[in-house]
Amino acid sequence: MTDARDPIVRIEGVTKAFGSFTALHEMNLSIASGEFVTFLGPSGCGKSTTLRILGGFETPNTGRVILDGQDVTALPPNKRNVNMVFQDYALFPNMTVRRNIAFGLELKGMGKAAIAARISELASFLELTAYLDRRPDQLSGGQRQRVALARALAPDPALLLLDEPLGALDAKLRGQVQVELKAIQRRTNKTFFFVTHDQEEALTMSDRIVVMNKGRIEQDGTPEDLYFRPASRFVAEFIGETNLLTGQAIGRDQDVTGFDWQGNRLRAIASPGVGATATTASLRPERVQVAQERPGTDNAVQGRVVNRLFKGHRMLLDVAVGNTVIQAYTDTDRGRAIEDGPVWLGWNANSLTLLAD
Amino acid sequence: MTRNTRILMQCIYWAFVIYLLVPLFLMMLMGFKDSKFIGFPIKSWTLDWYMTVFADTAVLQAFAYSMVIAVVSTLIALTMGTWIAVALTGRSFWGRAIILGLTLLPAIIPGVISAIAFRIAARVVGMEPGMWAIIWSHAIHNVPFVVLVVMARLSTMPKSYAEAARDLGADPIIAFFRVSLPYLTPAMIGGGVFCMLLSFDDFVRSFFLGGYEPTLPVLIFAKLRSGMSPEINAISTIVLVLTALLGLWAERSMRGLSKRASHD
Repeated sequence: MTDARDPIVRIEGVTKAFGSFTALHEMNLSIASGEFVTFLGPSGCGKSTTLRILGGFETPNTGRVILDGQDVTALPPNKRNVNMVFQDYALFPNMTVRRNIAFGLELKGMGKAAIAARISELASFLELTAYLDRRPDQLSGGQRQRVALARALAPDPALLLLDEPLGALDAKLRGQVQVELKAIQRRTNKTFFFVTHDQEEALTMSDRIVVMNKGRIEQDGTPEDLYFRPASRFVAEFIGETNLLTGQAIGRDQDVTGFDWQGNRLRAIASPGVGATATTASLRPERVQVAQERPGTDNAVQGRVVNRLFKGHRMLLDVAVGNTVIQAYTDTDRGRAIEDGPVWLGWNANSLTLLAD
Repeated sequence: MTRNTRILMQCIYWAFVIYLLVPLFLMMLMGFKDSKFIGFPIKSWTLDWYMTVFADTAVLQAFAYSMVIAVVSTLIALTMGTWIAVALTGRSFWGRAIILGLTLLPAIIPGVISAIAFRIAARVVGMEPGMWAIIWSHAIHNVPFVVLVVMARLSTMPKSYAEAARDLGADPIIAFFRVSLPYLTPAMIGGGVFCMLLSFDDFVRSFFLGGYEPTLPVLIFAKLRSGMSPEINAISTIVLVLTALLGLWAERSMRGLSKRASHD
């Protein structure tokens, strides 16, 4: 019996080095049962190493991995109740879809009838019934991806690892599969550990995102936390588009902090741990209002429209304020109505986030 | 390319093909000639020489003997070669280059030298000349070819196949037999057929290491010494047709299998 809040996985002080390159520095992390956790970061950030340590393909130099209450640090992949969807799917080319899905079940020692039942259950759930007797080379990319998922889900693992499984799909299909994958995770109530470098993918599907950079956890939170309250400059730039303002933090009034920027005293928020020495603040372009009159927002500055970029349903305005350009999204009609020349930019305190450097 | 050079290239190509095929064609032709004298003109035709071959127990025995040696030495070479290829692929360790070099050496040592070496070694270890001595020398000579084709095939196998098998609960041995070995099958069929042809065709090692029973090439050699007879043409034609068929079959099945296995 696992309650939704029981950690199914605990990573305790795990360090992993390859020669002189340290891929993971003292990582600590808990994953709750039924969570969809995404490890997000650029290549070489340690996300894949973490995944391979959980799968048993790498052994950490120090630290422990606890899975479902058991220390699995030294266990090989075949002794762990963890399954993986590989980046290239790794479907066995000499076996039909049915035999691929049966592989893990046979090795668990399941009876023939039980295997057949499990396969037909998964096949109808993942819409693979018509393809069970085909070989992997007779399937489309999306179908292969579902077969890989079915094969990994079949042995009923405590944790499912997904190594950039959407990378091989074309952009249109990817969006659709993101929605499907999230729905599958909800219906099976499995713990998903998803690795990607695609921030949009991470934002769409995850309950929780762990942003990795240079072998360390940069930030760990819900997609909205990361987007609107990035803790560091790295996270702010990696996730979505943003304006980075360079100035100086001043004082601190509960969670609202002052930020001195080009002689303007702005009101801002800071994540816990961001000190009074912060010199950078993040401002999302869609949180900036552009108006002819001074808006009633917490912060307002004057600038001049220098460029307009038509993007269909909205417009991106470049507004020069002093020696900086701030980008702001408006809806297209509003953007067209604004005249060239002096304008006001306004935003509330909770849209300006002070960052750790 | 101009039209003239293209025609010239075609002429050279066909001249080369004729140069290659004419001796074989003449050999086949003479096997059907109704005379003991090999040469033109051919006045009448006969299948008698083939009847002689099928009635000649010495030939049939030598054929069977060569087949047994080819099959057994190939099975040994396949087992050893695949094992070495797998052990040498995907990891680097001290001595890897030395092991690979030693493994490939038998393929480039001149046949006479290695035959003499085997002969001496067989005497030293007290092995009688005969079937097992021949099989031993053929197997070692053929291992390099298996190692090379299997290593080439292994290098195209994604690392994730074996990992996926391990992930789904297979220990390293089950993962090898259920996933890696099927992937290597096309290369093993190709390498195996090549080994069988090499063994069947081998004269030098079989001659030096053989006992009283001759392999087919050794028997043909013995027969040649007592004078050229169209019977030898008939034997050679049969062997030619059989090996060509085997080669074609191997090529076709390999292409089909590897196409299926690599298209993922």
